[in-house]
Amino acid sequence: MTTATGRPYRPSQRTKHVATALVVLVVAWAALSIDVKIERLPGLPAALARIFGRMFLEPSPEWSYFPTAFGYMLESIQIAWLGTIIGAILSLPLAFFGAKNITSALVSNVIRQLLNAIRAVPEILVAVVIFIPMVGLGAYPGMLAIGVHSVGTLGKLSAEVIEGINPGPVEAVRAAGGRPLQIQRWGVLPQVLPEIVAFWLYRFEINIRASAILGAVGAGGVGEALVQSLQFRRYDRAGMLIIVIIVVTILIDTASGWLRRRIIEGGSGGTTAPELEDRAHLSMAIAGATGGDVGGDGDGGG
Amino acid sequence: MTAATEPRSARPRRPPRSLTGPLALLVFAAITWWAASEDFGLNFDVPRLFTNLTRGAGILAEFWPPNFDILPRTVGPMLETIQMAIIASLIGCALALPIAFLASRVTSPNLATYLIDRGVLSVVRALPDVLYALIFVAALSIGPLPGILALILFNIAVVAKLLSETVDGVDRGPIEAARAAGANRLLTVRWAVLPQVLPNYVAYSLYAFELNIRASAVLGIVGAGGIGNLISEFRRFFQYGNLTVVVIEILALVIIVEWASIWLRRRLV
Repeated sequence: MTTATGRPYRPSQRTKHVATALVVLVVAWAALSIDVKIERLPGLPAALARIFGRMFLEPSPEWSYFPTAFGYMLESIQIAWLGTIIGAILSLPLAFFGAKNITSALVSNVIRQLLNAIRAVPEILVAVVIFIPMVGLGAYPGMLAIGVHSVGTLGKLSAEVIEGINPGPVEAVRAAGGRPLQIQRWGVLPQVLPEIVAFWLYRFEINIRASAILGAVGAGGVGEALVQSLQFRRYDRAGMLIIVIIVVTILIDTASGWLRRRIIEGGSGGTTAPELEDRAHLSMAIAGATGGDVGGDGDGGG
Repeated sequence: MTAATEPRSARPRRPPRSLTGPLALLVFAAITWWAASEDFGLNFDVPRLFTNLTRGAGILAEFWPPNFDILPRTVGPMLETIQMAIIASLIGCALALPIAFLASRVTSPNLATYLIDRGVLSVVRALPDVLYALIFVAALSIGPLPGILALILFNIAVVAKLLSETVDGVDRGPIEAARAAGANRLLTVRWAVLPQVLPNYVAYSLYAFELNIRASAVLGIVGAGGIGNLISEFRRFFQYGNLTVVVIEILALVIIVEWASIWLRRRLV
């Protein structure tokens, strides 16, 4: 804090110190009061080595199990695909109603809050609490849970895309005598569809991961097989299933990422730089954070 | 209305039809048919779906009224869920910082490190958190410890990915300045890169914490501690009234944390 040579004052650090103290306190509370049985931790490397050894090395992954494992994975993909379609169909009209420039502020706020509420419930919970009791175990409840949960994110992201349209075409359709629905169809939809379809694809990638685990609660797919093989200590089979999950997920991610980039680049309203596209929706998924300064009013409601 | 008037006869020509659109639709239809078909897929059938849903609607009535007598029993597991999320966020985000720097071309010391780090990250990201929880439960038996470990991995995957992309996009000027002043690699990262990405890092960490709260609420379903334990207990015994209470609590927790986090991020970034 020397001011001798006219050096500027250090800005106040009080908020920073208070925040640090708060974080330290909260973490200390969490770390000291939780009963984690930390004494088990040193055994972890050995236990993991044993499990992974039996998964991938010792009797070698059970290749004869590959077709079965792959079949389960295909079921997970189907669940994710149909779930994404359900989510896409339900979210598109909601997105239009949730966009401020299409409807009134009141309606769009109500819709946005509804979408937020849907987003807050993890799909595994939706499956356990709503759809498994309703339609029983199997692939159906998994698909429905993924569909419903996807509506939250897809609706929000699509609404944000719609809010960013160029108003020119809308005015043009209105000037040409278009009715409200025709304005949406010809003035808005062509502008936003490429980006929205890209979001659907992105959601499909996420939903593959989701459907891979929904089996843990009995909602079909590869997760069910994995839970069972882990429970019965068939680690060779579990290893095979994990390999299949990793490889298929990465392959689909790559293909879908390529496709998304193509859609955004080749689409009519391709304003975003191709490589930025990935980051664009990531930062949007981060709600009011990085994009907050620009589109902060975008979710002023919550 | 609009000022621009065009000569009437100068209608532009229709661009030639491209095959990409119809082809894409065809592929889409084929995959959907495959996924929904009786022989290869899930045997998806809309009318049957609706009869299933209407028949099942009666069960939903059992969720009401919520059985609030259960509230005291949920306090402990609920706190455990929050604690798991806090501990895992802290450790996971701390570990994610160096991993993110190694996964960016800007700051990675050499190509090999960069590629290996990227590869490991994409494998880590390919597996969902519940799957890690399953493996850790198998290794350490049930409790919050496997849950925390699974969340740490999940945190690293999310934060390192986002942060490494932010690092890719930093302004190179300060880096050159630091190099020119004789800073080594570590010092360059510390004084030229970190200050640029710090607000984003904090924002991503808060975002990851939100995701952690959601994830740790369900990890208990596979035996990894927290409120999820109660979920699986209640659903095993069809105690739907109790389940409603737990769901309300999780919803409240998630929404409160989200609001707090968005408010904080607005102030920070």
